[in-house]
Amino acid sequence: MPIDPGHTGIGWRQAHYGELLERRPALAFVEVHSENFFAEGGAALAVLQEGRMAYPVSLHGVGLSLGSAAGLDSGHLERLAGLVERIDPVRVSDHASFARAPLAPGQAAVHGNDLLPVAFTTAALDIMAANVQRVQDRLRRPLLVENLSAYLRWADDALDESEFFNRLARRTGCGLLLDVNNLVVNALNAGLPPVATTVAFIDAIDPAIVGEIHLAGYADLGDIVIDDHGSRVHAPVWQAYAHAIRRFGAVPTLIEWDTDVPAFDVLLDEAARAQRVIDLHTVLEAQA
Amino acid sequence: MSRDTEAQRQQLLLRVLWRDAADVTLGAWLRDAPPRAARGLSAYRSNGEALAARALAASHPTVAELIGSDSFAALARAHWRRHPPTCGDMAAYGAGLADFIAADTNLADEPYLADCARLDWAVHRAESAADPRHPPEGLDLLGGDDPATLVMALRPDLALLSSRWPVVTVWQAHRRSDPERFATVREAFAAQRGEHALVWRDGWRPRVSLVGAAEAQFMHGLLAGRPLLAALDGAGNDFSFEPWLLQALQHGWLAAVRPSAGLTDGDER
Repeated sequence: MPIDPGHTGIGWRQAHYGELLERRPALAFVEVHSENFFAEGGAALAVLQEGRMAYPVSLHGVGLSLGSAAGLDSGHLERLAGLVERIDPVRVSDHASFARAPLAPGQAAVHGNDLLPVAFTTAALDIMAANVQRVQDRLRRPLLVENLSAYLRWADDALDESEFFNRLARRTGCGLLLDVNNLVVNALNAGLPPVATTVAFIDAIDPAIVGEIHLAGYADLGDIVIDDHGSRVHAPVWQAYAHAIRRFGAVPTLIEWDTDVPAFDVLLDEAARAQRVIDLHTVLEAQA
Repeated sequence: MSRDTEAQRQQLLLRVLWRDAADVTLGAWLRDAPPRAARGLSAYRSNGEALAARALAASHPTVAELIGSDSFAALARAHWRRHPPTCGDMAAYGAGLADFIAADTNLADEPYLADCARLDWAVHRAESAADPRHPPEGLDLLGGDDPATLVMALRPDLALLSSRWPVVTVWQAHRRSDPERFATVREAFAAQRGEHALVWRDGWRPRVSLVGAAEAQFMHGLLAGRPLLAALDGAGNDFSFEPWLLQALQHGWLAAVRPSAGLTDGDER
């Protein structure tokens, strides 16, 4: 009898390429950073193709720069399209951020290679909707767009962040990749109660648009909280996640760990904990 | 708010992060109080610079070992500030590091570093090049056609670097862990030996080999797209084609043999 893979997955990083393929744990999916596999060939791509034979793969990008007023980098989009064709991923996602802009008018755009915050304005929404639509047209599949952890806030934000995503999804048909850790980090940096603030965001999101959830750890440096994906998921994130599952149901959930990547069993343990949250919700629903 | 306003906002934030504009120019755009905004900007700058150091150290491991992690991180930061990436794939960032090193007066005492960076970058590109197709096309042409009318195309992941420094010896020493690994480097520098480095991928593994001067001349000719006969003439009398061809076939260096469309022997020489 096959093992039920549940609904949870892990970010598959280089440190665990071999161990995942050898052990083949029961996971619903694995997720990789798209840009790490933009090569035309070589060992990394071969490993991903082998992983794809064993698991559904979710492609999660960090470089599309969906919010850039300067538009998308056509070369980047083409490389992503090539990877999507090779891998046939279960989901494709990137962030509600920008990174491309010229440093002076008329110059070619540079790429900051970071997830810089867009303003929550109608003009920024127009830009992101156009860019998301272009990506979806090229990939011929819907995209999931992730909410950010942001270390700056714009003075002229005119929309709630949740409303920004609801409208983006209505206009383009894209979904939301709900990063619960990012919401908690933003609340902590704003001096707001992290669980209540995150729960309020979750309650304001249209349940139909949530396609995946990310969980990760953060680093509290004292004067700022950084979304470093370098530790176990923190308690406020688990609390808000349980609320998200109650509201959205059994949404595919990923454990992300990118800094100081731990032993493989630690990642699996975190994924199992997320699965228990989903299982508990499923049982309670069935009994209600 | 218009699209132009968003473009202006985004350009300003990138300029501030790259220290092309003062932090205060962003002040009116931000909701955060100045100390909080400064901390946020600092977080983004640190992240970018750390990313540059990680990416460039991954693509230039020999240079990173040669100058040490702190000096390399400073070099990466300087390169990041002066030459921001132009695409969102950090594995593609770093092609210009060798020239940046060559122009850095602080590194003038280590004039071999730029060529070590060129070799590191060639290895990095070979790792991610398209997987070779086997066997090479058009091999049968070698049996009959006039070499003046043939072009031999080498695999796209193959690179040849001719240096006045012993770059192959340095690169190979940095892949070993035994205590005597740098003895060969000291000897090569003492003999003021230049080296020709051939880089290609053997299966999934990048390889770096030392090649002789005649062989290097011949392969430079092929890489420049010269007809076979012209490449042979350029290699001189010390070069023997058949052993080279055997080696090329064994290692899979050859991608194709084709007629040289539109070129005559005279054009090339």
